[in-house]
Amino acid sequence: MRRSLNSAKYGARKVWWALRQIFGDAAYENYLQSVRRTAAHGANAATPLSRDEFYLDSLSRRYSKISRCC
Amino acid sequence: MKIFRVLVWAAVALAGAAGLSAIAFERGEPLNATWIIIAAACTYLVAYRFYSAFISAKVLALDASRATPAERLDDGRDYVPTNKWVLLGHHFAAIAGPGPLVGPTLAAQFGYLPGTLWLIVGAVLGGCVQDFVILFCSMRRDGKSLGQMAREEVSRRGGFIAQIAVLAIMIILLAVVGLVVVNALKASPWGMFTLAMTVPIAMLMGLYLRYWRPGRVLEASAIGVSLVLLDVVAGQWVAGAPSWARIFSLSAPALAVALIIYGFAASALPVWLLLAPRDYLSAFIKAGAVFALAGGILLVRPVVQMPALSRFVDGTGPVFAGKIFPFCFITIACGAVSGFHALISSGTTPKMIMRETHARLVGYGAMLMESFVGVMAMVAACALQPGVYFAMNSPPAIVGGTVESAAQTISGWGYSLAPQTMTDLAHMVGEQTLLNRTGGAPSLAVGMAQIFSHTIGGPHLMALWYHFAIMFEALFILTVLDAGTRVGRFMVQDMLGHISKPLGRTGSYGGILFSSALITGAWGYFLYQGVQDPLGGINSLWPLFGIANQLLAAVALVVATTILLKMGKRKYLWVTLGPAVALVTVTMTASYEKIFSADPRLGFLSAANQMAARIASGAVPAEKLAEMGRLIFNQRLDAAVTAALALMVLVLVVEALFEWVRIWNSATSPVLHEAPYVKTQWAEGD
Repeated sequence: MRRSLNSAKYGARKVWWALRQIFGDAAYENYLQSVRRTAAHGANAATPLSRDEFYLDSLSRRYSKISRCC
Repeated sequence: MKIFRVLVWAAVALAGAAGLSAIAFERGEPLNATWIIIAAACTYLVAYRFYSAFISAKVLALDASRATPAERLDDGRDYVPTNKWVLLGHHFAAIAGPGPLVGPTLAAQFGYLPGTLWLIVGAVLGGCVQDFVILFCSMRRDGKSLGQMAREEVSRRGGFIAQIAVLAIMIILLAVVGLVVVNALKASPWGMFTLAMTVPIAMLMGLYLRYWRPGRVLEASAIGVSLVLLDVVAGQWVAGAPSWARIFSLSAPALAVALIIYGFAASALPVWLLLAPRDYLSAFIKAGAVFALAGGILLVRPVVQMPALSRFVDGTGPVFAGKIFPFCFITIACGAVSGFHALISSGTTPKMIMRETHARLVGYGAMLMESFVGVMAMVAACALQPGVYFAMNSPPAIVGGTVESAAQTISGWGYSLAPQTMTDLAHMVGEQTLLNRTGGAPSLAVGMAQIFSHTIGGPHLMALWYHFAIMFEALFILTVLDAGTRVGRFMVQDMLGHISKPLGRTGSYGGILFSSALITGAWGYFLYQGVQDPLGGINSLWPLFGIANQLLAAVALVVATTILLKMGKRKYLWVTLGPAVALVTVTMTASYEKIFSADPRLGFLSAANQMAARIASGAVPAEKLAEMGRLIFNQRLDAAVTAALALMVLVLVVEALFEWVRIWNSATSPVLHEAPYVKTQWAEGD
């Protein structure tokens, strides 16, 4: 019983993770991770954008080129 | 273990063959849609397991040890290493628009067989190959666009042609999808109210995401989706109140003007306020509706009522004119082969791939999923009684404007239809009429509503399901319309920048307004032309869009063939050259027929000449002369646009041929503009 409950919890966590990744909720966390990776490699990392700045920046990037098909 | 795998794949292949045989040879007895689903699913599985593996290993030689642009250039913004399943979701959401729903619905006029076979075979051998190979080529070039690759690998002119072709396709695409919305919502207060309310709902989401909870897309979308569902239910109360119903009952020309104003506003307003939240809303509803349709078809297993081949294979169809060859292959672009996908495969996706080997799942796999959406749309359309399908999709100029005349004409074609059937159906879905609703969206919505209501709610919920389906299609289309207008605006500004620097500045308000007006005016003109067309507009505009889209696919496959040749893959050129030759043949034949056919319903020039002859003979009343003059101009304009597109692609093909001969005869290795090899730093399995 407990095992099935744990499996269900694990499955639900995976689904939630996938949803956040696909629909862009996790984009800012991914960006911060990328900034940390760059800094760890010794590169001159710029000051990270705030969540608000990152959101606006990602929208203007996405919608200034073809991002949706017919 | 190996023998077990062999047995499993043999069983899948046999099931696919049985499905294909059933749909190809079943005559007389009604066919259950399950056979179509089995044929499609098994063919996709076999194609993915064997053909895409062959392309990965032998043709492209994908290298898991080679660092992708996402790894080398990782900046967390454009270049983002992404899990392959997440990227599959992203890429599928980006390529799946209204095309795979509308195209198959229109092509159902030939019967279920031609369109279904083209969806399955075209995707497996053409569309998936195009998406996969272009994704690979772009990934090896740090995510360069199709135009940049054409310029570098084929010729400078090739790049320019690709850029112009993209802008032309964009204009025609926006006009034709706008026309689909107009035909679905004209004189429909329930549908119109539902769609109109999505604008304030999207704006509310935009404010939530901008000021209250920046970037929390799931929260905002949950609120938005709940409000939209409530909005669908509330639509019936609006339609039931005469004073409100009057406000939301718009004629086709009024709706077209409203759409043009909306497109301009969405393009000029800040992207966070309307465009982005509408896109999120649309993505959620799209995913929900597609899964619901798949589930509904599997549960209900509807019987296909349309014959395998209708009498309209001879080219006299009321939905659009033209024979199966080439028009079935033009009508169904998205779902089988779509050139537009090459723009997505050389856009964001190549910058997000973690490992080269993931390109197979993302490029080939996502297109298989889109093809399956097209097959489901075909099932939903063919599950309708054929008489109802033709009554909904035929313009008044062919079947008349009353249910009596339509029933008489359509019954005369051999598809029995009682006038009362159309009246009852309209009543059942909460509409005043379903007659002459060309464009495919309403008939698909009725097909979906029948499938959904057989699953949940029965006939009592038909009206609700119909308006849910209409809202889903219209929302989806409006997202394409506003995102496309905005991108078109950037393309126009890019071009204007060569003439006047201030107009080219993307931050200048004057430049934004001017370029938005230009791009909106361009597609708005074609949209209004479609609304005024006595044959319903779809007859002219959808083939024009199909030709443009398939010509772009031909461009993409020619670029891909050039790159394969430069990679020294002469033995495997047929993989991209085969579909390229097929598409060039189809599109050139269709272009020729649309321009020069002597049938006025098919040929733009003969239609113009016929109208001019009527004016010359004095058969046109004086008050109709100006309108007739406009119609003649529009037909000639459509002919000129078709000719220009065909000519541009011919120039590119000839240039590529010269390049191929040069490479073939050259003793030295050709220059390949790939990024240099860098070994991945990631461990296996990352």
